[in-house]
Formats: sequence, structure tokens, C-alpha cells
Amino acid sequence: MSLDFAFYPGCAGKQVQKEAEWAARAVCDQLGIKLHDMPRATCCGAVSLRETKPAFSLAVAARILGEAEASGRDLCTICNTCLQTLSHANYRFKTEPDILEQINKANQQAGIPAYRASIKVQHLLWVITDQVDQKALKDKIKKPLAGLKVAPFYGCHNLRPAEIFASNAGEKADHLHRLITLLGGEAVSYDGHDKCCGFHVMLSDPAEMRGMVAKNCLSAKEAGAQVMITPCTLCDMSMGAYQGIAEKTVGKSINLPEMNFAQLLGVAMGIDEARLGVHRLHVDPKPILAQTGYPLTRSPCWR
Amino acid sequence: MAEQSYTFRIQRNQVAGNGRLETRWQEYKVTMPPNATILNALEEIKGKQDGSVTYRQSCRSAICGSCGMKISGHTRLACKTHIGWVARNGVVELRPQGNQPVLKDLAVDIGPFFKRVHTIRPYLDEGPEADANVGKTAYEQVNQVSQCIMCGCCYSDCTMAEVSPTFIGPAALAKAFRFVSDPREGKKTDRLRQLSEPHMMWSCARCAMCVEACPKGVKPMEAIVKLRTRGMQKGFNDGAGQRHALAFHVDIQKGGDLNEFTLMMRTLGLGGTLKETGAALHLMKKGKIPSPFPHKAQGFEELKKVYDILERNPLDVETKAADIVPE
Repeated sequence: MSLDFAFYPGCAGKQVQKEAEWAARAVCDQLGIKLHDMPRATCCGAVSLRETKPAFSLAVAARILGEAEASGRDLCTICNTCLQTLSHANYRFKTEPDILEQINKANQQAGIPAYRASIKVQHLLWVITDQVDQKALKDKIKKPLAGLKVAPFYGCHNLRPAEIFASNAGEKADHLHRLITLLGGEAVSYDGHDKCCGFHVMLSDPAEMRGMVAKNCLSAKEAGAQVMITPCTLCDMSMGAYQGIAEKTVGKSINLPEMNFAQLLGVAMGIDEARLGVHRLHVDPKPILAQTGYPLTRSPCWR
Repeated sequence: MAEQSYTFRIQRNQVAGNGRLETRWQEYKVTMPPNATILNALEEIKGKQDGSVTYRQSCRSAICGSCGMKISGHTRLACKTHIGWVARNGVVELRPQGNQPVLKDLAVDIGPFFKRVHTIRPYLDEGPEADANVGKTAYEQVNQVSQCIMCGCCYSDCTMAEVSPTFIGPAALAKAFRFVSDPREGKKTDRLRQLSEPHMMWSCARCAMCVEACPKGVKPMEAIVKLRTRGMQKGFNDGAGQRHALAFHVDIQKGGDLNEFTLMMRTLGLGGTLKETGAALHLMKKGKIPSPFPHKAQGFEELKKVYDILERNPLDVETKAADIVPE
């Protein structure tokens, strides 16, 4: 199977969480997954555009999906909210042909080619756990995690609503668990694994958002987690970058290293830590990784 | 179907003399076919093994909404859930609903939940906006939410309610949409004004847990999305949630990507942004401050054109409910 995708990192992956994009590209290089840039792609509008301008949000999605379709590839992302937004639109285009026709008509008047609803919206995590040959993947693991206790944090928009996604979602999803096991780690069972990181109420309900971050991280820590991974740049931002801010709000120390799944995968593959952007993480995972006997790879000349 | 042996791990709760809740776990073994319901098993346990196990039940048909409880991690109706769907290695774990005060074992006080529903006035109001003409398609929107049986499953699993004692919750908001979308309702604008206040519709984190939890296909979050659209159309835009949402279509037309650098200022204003200085400094430590000049997508000018086309000729793309045949 050819693993060629139109790559849609999302606004966060291009800017504040660019380390997730670096890590995604680094592991894909090693796994023979080709990620092709999408020069025409815009912001997907996230959960907001559907509320403010419902028809325009579908027009924007059709334009993005159409660019991938024209290149003959499925679209692949590393942001859960982009995944949900584009999957939701794609689900509607596939199941409501009259809506697709009306949106295409408006788009074509503006010079945007029609979308035929022929592609799938994929998450890079699904590609790695379901489409890459698992034996080949295992052969690339140079530094297995030796029982490191890892909390899988899926993020809402990777899971719900289950019917819109092109892969197992809802309670059936076990991608992160399988990845952790394959890397030689132990997936920690804890209450927060399918809960909300609060990203979308970060500005409107800041205390509540920070409460969510603290609750999820503490529940993972109490269950013995040494590190947390997520498949989403926005969850990374909440659970990682905002963790220190949440600590101050709730008045409790958390100190749980949080990484994008591609970063931990890259560590286990022995990819240089600078290339994975480990230095951009707020809670440094290096001490715990070193403690478990698996220090990161660092070559002095990269970057 | 062949009978199997299952272990039911039930959270036993008792309010002690000092008012504190004492919690312990107790295990019961039952032998039943996998297509028996959780309620069948509870009746077996209460009837034959331990009469002190307390839970609420009535209709046995997913109509009365009494038997919602946390079953293997998520809130479901005991009468509608087959043991085989939720047993993990032969074990089923039962806990009372979340976000509500526990009375005993699996029974919660549903008073606070219903109080929230009552704040949105769950009945049609007379008023100037009432339309006597109810068209053939008018029921398509109302239908989606009229299936609600007030079981509280969505509120029990709501991730915002877990951290916010003041959030109104998904069931009340779905009920609010049932009235806002009913042509006969007389005070639609008043309702949207109330729903635009803090801790109402704009505090939903959009986690979609309510969509998964609802045993009747109500999709409360979809109703919340539609309420927000209607609220903004009425001009109730003075809140961080609304200002944040309104930034997206502007940025997409201007260049394609979201301008995250100015987003906080546009959402919170100068005062609010200054309050967030500590957070910004924290993020800056790791270079997590976006560029004020986001990348421009090729051909982004097309989006201004299609935006104008859709503003001139609005398209109704809201999801509609098919007629639901009551179970």
C-alpha cells in the first residue's frame, strides 16, 4: 500500500506546537510515509466557524478536501479538531449529496474546483497504528520504552461523535493504547483518558479549562503515569504548555511530562531529540526518560 | 444465548451521620446470558443476593429515564444496556451518576439537575414572536430534541459540569433549543439573550461526551451549536466565546490561517489580555508565541468571493432530524 498523504498540520502545528509537526515529519521519513504539503489549504475554521457561518464552514472544508482529492491522496492531520471538523464536513458531503452540490455550486462561482467527496480524512496516529506494517514499525524501535508508564490522552475530537470518523472511534478506539504497547511501554488505565483538555474554552472559561487540565493530569499521575501522550496539537497545548498555569490556578503541583505521540515514537526510534522538538516542551520528559534508562538521542550538530 | 458468569463491582455509598459520603466497593456474581440487561442483573442481585443494594428504576423500556448510572465508565440506562456490551473480562463496574449528589449506592439526588432545566423555562411562552403558522418542516428541528427523557446521562458525563458547579449543562440547553426552534414560541429573542449569559451555552467545551452518552439520540451538543448560531444572529455577541468564534471567518478571508497572535486581544480585549500576562510569559519561555504575520494560503482570495456569494444567497445547511419512530 502506498502511504502518500496530503498533509494538513493545522494552525497550531504550523505555529505554537510546531514541534509536533517536526516529530510527525521525522517519524514519517523513517516509516516511508510521504507527507505532501497543501499550499492552498487554509484554517479549517475549527468548532467556531460552524457556529458563526455554517454554510461558509462547509465551503472552506470542501476547498481543503478538494485540494487533497485533486492530488489523488487522502488527507492526513495531526490536530484532533481539524480531524473532527473536516471529518464532519466530509461525512455530510458523503451522506447528503444535495448539500455537497449546493456548496460546490457556490465554490465554483468563486473559482474553487468542485469536491467529489471521494477521499478519507485520516489522523497520522491511525495511519501509523493501522496502515503501516506493524512488524516493520517494530523493527524501527531502537530504544523500547521498557515498561515506561504512559498515560494515553486521546482528546475528544479524535473520538466523538464516533459515526463521522474513518477509523474506530468512541469507546472502541484503542490506537494510543496499541502504540504504547508496541513501543514497549505500559498504557496506564485512568479516568481522564477520553475526557476534555479544555482547549476550546481556554479564553472564555479560563478557570474551568485549567481545572480540566489539572483533573486529567492528576488522575493520570495517581494511576502511576510517568509521561502522558496525545495525538493532538491542541491537547498538547492544554495538557503540556498550560499545565504550569493550571498548577497555579488549582494550587497543586502536577509535573507530568506531556508529549505529542509522534515525539515519544521518535524517541523510541532513536531520532535526535532536537529534531523532535523536545526542548520546546514545558514539562521536560528527559529526567524521567533518563531515569528509566533510555536517554534521548542527541547529536551536537543538528540545528 | 448461553449463560455466562459475570462479576458486578458495585459502588456502595452511604451518607454517614456527619453528612459525609462513605464509599466502598462490593462484588456480586451473576450468571446470565450476555444479552440480559444491566437492570436484569441488578434485579437478580437485589432480589436474591442483597436487598440493601439501592438504585432507581421504573419503566424498563428506556422511556422513564430513571435508571441512568455509570456502567463501565460511562453513563447509560441500565434497562437499555446489555451486559455483553459493557463487560470487560467478565467484570461490570457500576457507579452512581456523576456531577450530582449521591443519596445511597447508585441513587442520586436529581433535584439540582431539574433545577437547571427549570432555569430555561421548559414550556412555551406566549409573546410577540409566536407564529400561528406551523409549516410542514417546522418539526424537523424540534424533533431532534423532543426525544429527551431527562435521564441526566449527558449531565452525568459532561466534562464541563465536572469542573464547573454553575454550568447549566447539556440537557437544559437541548431543552432550550426545543423551544427556541419551535415556531409557536413567543419569546425566542429573550431566551437567546438569557442563553448568551455566562455559564450558559457559551461555556460548553464542545467535547461531544453528551452526544455519546445520550440514550435517545438527542445530540445535545448539536443543539448547542445551533443555539450559538441563532444567538449571534440576534446580535448577542458581547462575550469571550462569541468574540473568539467571530474571529475565524475574518481571518480565513484575510489570508487563510488563523491569526493566533491577535486572537487573544480580540477575544478578551485589552483588560482581559493584561490579566493573562502571566500565562503569556509562561508560554513565551518555550517560544510558544505565534507570529503576528501568519502564513498566507495560495488562492485565499477565493474565500472572500465565496463568503460574499453565501452572504448574498444564504444556504440553509443545518442538520435536520429524520422523523423518529418512538421505541
